[in-house]
Amino acid sequence: MSVTVKVMNRPEAGRTSYLRAALKGMGLTFKHLVNPEKVTLQYPEEQPDLSPRWRGTHRMEVHADGRPKCVACGLCPTVCPANCIRLVGGEDDQGNRYPVVYEIDEFRCIFCGMCQEVCPVEAIHVGVHFENGEYDRSRFVYDLDRLMEQDHPTTLLWDPSDPKSE
Amino acid sequence: MADHADLPETVTLTIDGQQVTVPKGTSILHAAEQAGTQVPHYCYHAGLSAPAMCRLCLVEVEKAPKLLPSCVTQVAEGQVVHTQSDKSLTMRRGVLEFYLHNHPLDCPICDQSGECKLQDYAHEEGRPHGRVREPKRVFGRDDFGGDVLFYGDRCVMCTRCVRFMNEVEQDPRLAVVERGDRSIIDTFFDEGLEGTNFHGNVVDICPVGALLSKDFLFKQRAWDLSHTDSVCPNCSQGCNIELHTRDNLVQRLRPRPNLDVNGHWMCDEGRLDYEWINRGGRLEVPLVRDGKEFHATDWKEALVGLVRELGAGPVRALVSPRLSNEDLGAARALVDQLGGGDLVYRSRRAPEELVLKGFPKLARRRDLAPNVNGADLLGMSRVGDNDGTGGLEGLASHDGIVLVVGDDLEDQPPTFGKEAALYVFLGTHSSEAASHAHFTLPLTTFAEQEGTFTNHENRVQRFWSGLPAPGAARPAWLILWALLAEHTGQTQPTRPEEAFVTVSEFGDVTYETLGKQGVIVTPPTRQEPAGAIGD
Repeated sequence: MSVTVKVMNRPEAGRTSYLRAALKGMGLTFKHLVNPEKVTLQYPEEQPDLSPRWRGTHRMEVHADGRPKCVACGLCPTVCPANCIRLVGGEDDQGNRYPVVYEIDEFRCIFCGMCQEVCPVEAIHVGVHFENGEYDRSRFVYDLDRLMEQDHPTTLLWDPSDPKSE
Repeated sequence: MADHADLPETVTLTIDGQQVTVPKGTSILHAAEQAGTQVPHYCYHAGLSAPAMCRLCLVEVEKAPKLLPSCVTQVAEGQVVHTQSDKSLTMRRGVLEFYLHNHPLDCPICDQSGECKLQDYAHEEGRPHGRVREPKRVFGRDDFGGDVLFYGDRCVMCTRCVRFMNEVEQDPRLAVVERGDRSIIDTFFDEGLEGTNFHGNVVDICPVGALLSKDFLFKQRAWDLSHTDSVCPNCSQGCNIELHTRDNLVQRLRPRPNLDVNGHWMCDEGRLDYEWINRGGRLEVPLVRDGKEFHATDWKEALVGLVRELGAGPVRALVSPRLSNEDLGAARALVDQLGGGDLVYRSRRAPEELVLKGFPKLARRRDLAPNVNGADLLGMSRVGDNDGTGGLEGLASHDGIVLVVGDDLEDQPPTFGKEAALYVFLGTHSSEAASHAHFTLPLTTFAEQEGTFTNHENRVQRFWSGLPAPGAARPAWLILWALLAEHTGQTQPTRPEEAFVTVSEFGDVTYETLGKQGVIVTPPTRQEPAGAIGD
């Protein structure tokens, strides 16, 4: 089976003008200049609308007395597919189980939200948040204090009106 | 039939459509196990009496008027048992619902979570949701003394712990107090479990999280632990244990059933004495002394250098009863090759045995090392005091070859081995007394190698490796056999089973014949070790 080749003849140099095409392109540019429908978001003056199901960096919920809600059950490090949670449990002065060490490596995290889904006490959440810039890589391992300080809204992992995403 | 009582009579019955033949007198629960069916149960434990009070192992037996407790019902000829019939399953679902009536469902903070029978059974056969609307009764937590904490809310009242203390430990310190739904396990006034020597077993046999170990409390999750079969290294009883490890550390020790040695139990002293296995600051590379300086090197350079120095000469060797039979055998072979010499060991000795009254085969023996009998069997002699110190005056100032394998020499002065023509120190940790060693070679602990120990009745038992060796540390038998092979040109064993069969004392016993139960090689010739022991 032979391949059909269509030969295109380029116009000879010096025998053609790009002026028409250039004007057409400029026309499009100027049309957008006056077009009221803007696409560009003026970040950071304007903030984007994030979906309520957006999964960003984590946040630890706290009790009214300032203790973390986490009971160090170990389910989130067990379920975490990226293995980014380090948890060491211990006993506090009232004999309760609590996290002595709770660290999340946000670089390793794949933001699947399974830690939030598995948490039996609704302590760890992924947040509706994306501004995580830091000057140092080491700052991306969030320890317990840092996770408790976060105040951004937490994620609805699924839409309550459409829980099965149908 | 009844007058042939001494013959092993068998009974054939049908369990879940499968015919099984078992010895007469077997319980349905055990027969079902042979048929491949696990019948859920709480109160029954193989090492205790069976009161048939948890009502979870009830199974349907054809022609019986009602369900029968399988843990105490003996099999009968032609019996037809259904463990998975509608009637049995409905009953178990009902019983489990009652168990969960007052259960706090605090699995996230419960240490038993992951190895909890209530969790397992409720997940397999229980109702998906509870129907109870009434408030649960609350007991809270109680300190039972010793290593044991009691969480009353989680208890299913199987009374295994009470029966253990009554029947096996034979020191009844636990009892059920109150009645009905207020019944609870308790100690007598302020007298807890403190002072008993085997109470750690109640934590093991508790099917739920009611009795927990203080040592292990909130430390690790059960599902994160790796289990390795091993032998307890803390006395010469040689209890079969499991090492539970995580993060390259031993997290706890648990007994492993072996009816010939320890039954289902182990002592608290052995159970809680595991931190020494995790001790840091290990020797990780071979060190060669160059004048006053040590420099780290690799195995090849260290061994080649050492073989060059190894001349025939009067050898004095100190070994450790914490070494495996393979290690001791290799040490003896090397000493013999170099022209023979003294092989001695030191071992700590407790003032008395702690016997488990209900299972007198098991005791915390006096020798606080796992392989004292192995060393005796191989013709090594004990020196030093009952606290495992001293006795090395001749060795410390010996001017021939000094070989130290496994003993940490912690009591010895820095001048140890100063006069020696060649001083080789093989150990897990460096010590001041090794500062004159020409060669310092890193050893593994028993948890990092495979091997065998010989227990107090000369039963040789295998243990397996549960931790990775740090750095370049190697088992002593491998190092010593490499030296020997280099020295004589013979081939060296590369696997522990090959090193084991080189020891003539073990006859034709091999790793295969040892299996998991162990084999008694030769009955011990003497109960009390020789040597000037002041007791």
